[in-house]
Amino acid sequence: MSFKIEKISYQYSADTPLILKNINMEIRPAEVTAIVGPSGSGKSTLVSILSGVIPELMNKGMLTGTFHHEDDVMISVVSQTPENQLFGYGVEDALAFGVENLGLSSEKISERVESVLNLLHIQHLRKRAVSTLSGGQRQAVCIASVLAMKPDLVIMDEPVSSLDPKGKHLIQSVLNQLRAAGQTTVIVDNNLDWFSDIVDHVVGIDHGEVVFDGSRDEFFADAQLAQRLGVIVPQTVDIYHALAKKSDGLKPFTTLDAAYEALKDCVVPQAAKPAEGPQRAEQVLEVNNLSKSFTDGFQALKKINAGFEKGKIISILGQNGSGKTTLVKHLNGLHRPTEGTVTYLGKETTTKSVAEISRDVILVFQHPEHMLFEENVYRELTFCARAQGIPFAEKDALEVLENYDLLKDKEELPVNLSMGKKHLLTILSVLFSSAKVVILDEPTLGMDLHLRRHLEAIIHKLKEQGKTVILISHEIPLVFKLSDQLLVLDHAEKLAAGSVQQLAENEALFEKIQIDLPPVVRLSKKLGLSPLACDVASFAAQIDELQKIGGAERG
Amino acid sequence: MGDFLQYVELNSFLHRLDPRSKFVFFIIMSVLTSFVKSGAALLFLFLVFIAIWLIGGIGSYILVLANKVKVLLLFIFLLWLVLGLFTVNEGPAIFRSGFSLFGHAYVFSLEWFDFYKGAVYALRIFLMISAFYTVILTTNFSQIILGLQSWRVPYAVAFGVGLVFQIIPMIVQEFATIMEAQKSRGLEVDKCSAFAKLKNYVIVSLPLLFRVLSKGHAISLAMHYYKLNFKVKRTSYQTISAGRSDFWFAATTIAATVMTIVLQIRFYIQI
Repeated sequence: MSFKIEKISYQYSADTPLILKNINMEIRPAEVTAIVGPSGSGKSTLVSILSGVIPELMNKGMLTGTFHHEDDVMISVVSQTPENQLFGYGVEDALAFGVENLGLSSEKISERVESVLNLLHIQHLRKRAVSTLSGGQRQAVCIASVLAMKPDLVIMDEPVSSLDPKGKHLIQSVLNQLRAAGQTTVIVDNNLDWFSDIVDHVVGIDHGEVVFDGSRDEFFADAQLAQRLGVIVPQTVDIYHALAKKSDGLKPFTTLDAAYEALKDCVVPQAAKPAEGPQRAEQVLEVNNLSKSFTDGFQALKKINAGFEKGKIISILGQNGSGKTTLVKHLNGLHRPTEGTVTYLGKETTTKSVAEISRDVILVFQHPEHMLFEENVYRELTFCARAQGIPFAEKDALEVLENYDLLKDKEELPVNLSMGKKHLLTILSVLFSSAKVVILDEPTLGMDLHLRRHLEAIIHKLKEQGKTVILISHEIPLVFKLSDQLLVLDHAEKLAAGSVQQLAENEALFEKIQIDLPPVVRLSKKLGLSPLACDVASFAAQIDELQKIGGAERG
Repeated sequence: MGDFLQYVELNSFLHRLDPRSKFVFFIIMSVLTSFVKSGAALLFLFLVFIAIWLIGGIGSYILVLANKVKVLLLFIFLLWLVLGLFTVNEGPAIFRSGFSLFGHAYVFSLEWFDFYKGAVYALRIFLMISAFYTVILTTNFSQIILGLQSWRVPYAVAFGVGLVFQIIPMIVQEFATIMEAQKSRGLEVDKCSAFAKLKNYVIVSLPLLFRVLSKGHAISLAMHYYKLNFKVKRTSYQTISAGRSDFWFAATTIAATVMTIVLQIRFYIQI
């Protein structure tokens, strides 16, 4: 069954601009369609129309055009926060909820529940309580609960945005199962990287208009379009575009194997150079023999020793539950050690309150809505400075807002901004604090490519100011691009620490923590590059250099 | 253990009971503790409760509850103690003195009975709360909905009640996270005056309000995605039925009720 959208336009009220303008598109049966576009482009409104929320629940706007589909069609949605979508204490209760609403007999409900448990290979979860599931498992159950209703179309709205690498793998395999089963699926996500293998069809929306409608490969071929729409593409695609700028005859590639085939003849093997050890700098923050046990007996950290150097970007890597967040909550005093110490510039922080420690070590939480409460964007930006009694000039604050495209929103209520902008705002507010150590927990949440560029600029700016940035992120290519050093945790223990280059050599380490090295690192290894390139720009520079050497040797 | 007002995943006999048996227990105990004012009867009921908690494996969670409500219980005890100071009762007095204020004569009289009265009222309140809490600790919100539905409570009401118990732990968690986030940005709530602390708690309620509203919006969308329509009859996957342990639990509840009433009649002291 295909779904056709013809000339759909929508505005929320008569005095607001059109949010969708004359949208024409088709969702083809048994295909995976990606809808991409920057924040505010109208993607969410389109999802609301497809799912019937507009006009069934929200009927005050003005909708024109037609959404063609057969009668009695079933369309359902998987949202980005499964905890708000799953109704039921146990997994079986949650899976049955939608089917019960259809009024089927208990035998039929039982059949449907069994069938989705088998389809998604989640039989082992059936007796678990929803609250005990990991993020990935919860999202898999959410998808299963929607599939149990046998929808003709499933729409997924950023389904992996808050998942760790293990959770993303689980959802990737679930989507592979769905595709094999011929399920018509729409995924609304500006991060095309994680589902690029299964997407058939891409629709790009900008300012409420369809600006692209074609295949995945056609979309990947147009680097400028992806940039304009703020879409995150697989790193191999970025590598191709970076190299193609300097090499006309380069054969297009989107996968790692194809990239290797295209590049293997251009590269002259180099003698391996040992990875450089980190250049030591003064340690601003240290943890010594840090252990943490909670009142229920759960041990979240075991004898951790780590130092955080001045002016460095240090990323903490590990799956959910490895102890990353518990560790950083010790750094800013939210948790007190069961054993061991935390010292800032050689002094223990135990006697200080969290607010006092925030003058030196500030933590930005992953959900901006936990932080925002001022009446406008300007006051939110300067909140830290006012809370800590740090003087600031209005001119500087306005300049920051202008540099990061927030000046026009100066008087706006912060909670009305898009998720990415809210997050950016909470991160920008630390620029006006006195803290010398800034901890960012999952800072990319809700950010498209444009906002990520801003985030990278902020992190570099903090580093230039001599501040230490501690980063927790599941976006591994970004971690390798930005970080100077890595600290790897697994099951509450420190597994390794060192420079990014050093640890990138250690494949066994990343296998153990079940995190894939970024494509650029894996390709560098395959091609025998030394030192290993950890980001696209340095990879392209190295390939360019090697091509020159190869050319000189041959010529 | 730190979580409050939510179901605890255990496999005790209390957890395995039909939710309706526990609802009946809660209703009977609520009525009983509303009427019974005899110290001996309440003490007996308290011992029955302790036996149920220990057999049900939830004793430690009841201690958490007792810790949370201790200030309330102390307040109730002191309130009745202070009120009793201005009433002359029969029985041995600890201290008694007369005084006059604005031309009126008063007697200030502290008796052992005042302590008894304070303790009886505090124990009644504790038993009322813990009867409710015993059900909440051992019945998850899906079972609550099923139980209410089987009593022909409209699904919209049953679903609403279940949703409340699903959402309360989420809101408690949200509030804790918001507090942590604000402290991390420099909001002082640890080393400040009680007034400043109160003011900061009020400030924190704003993001909590936004989070709750956004959660409410997300939940109403999810209800739409799952085609939930309270006007249409829905079916049920899980079923509930009473078993042998429900019989024994009901028998114990009835026996305890009869015994409490007997004790109330025989050992009632007017308070």
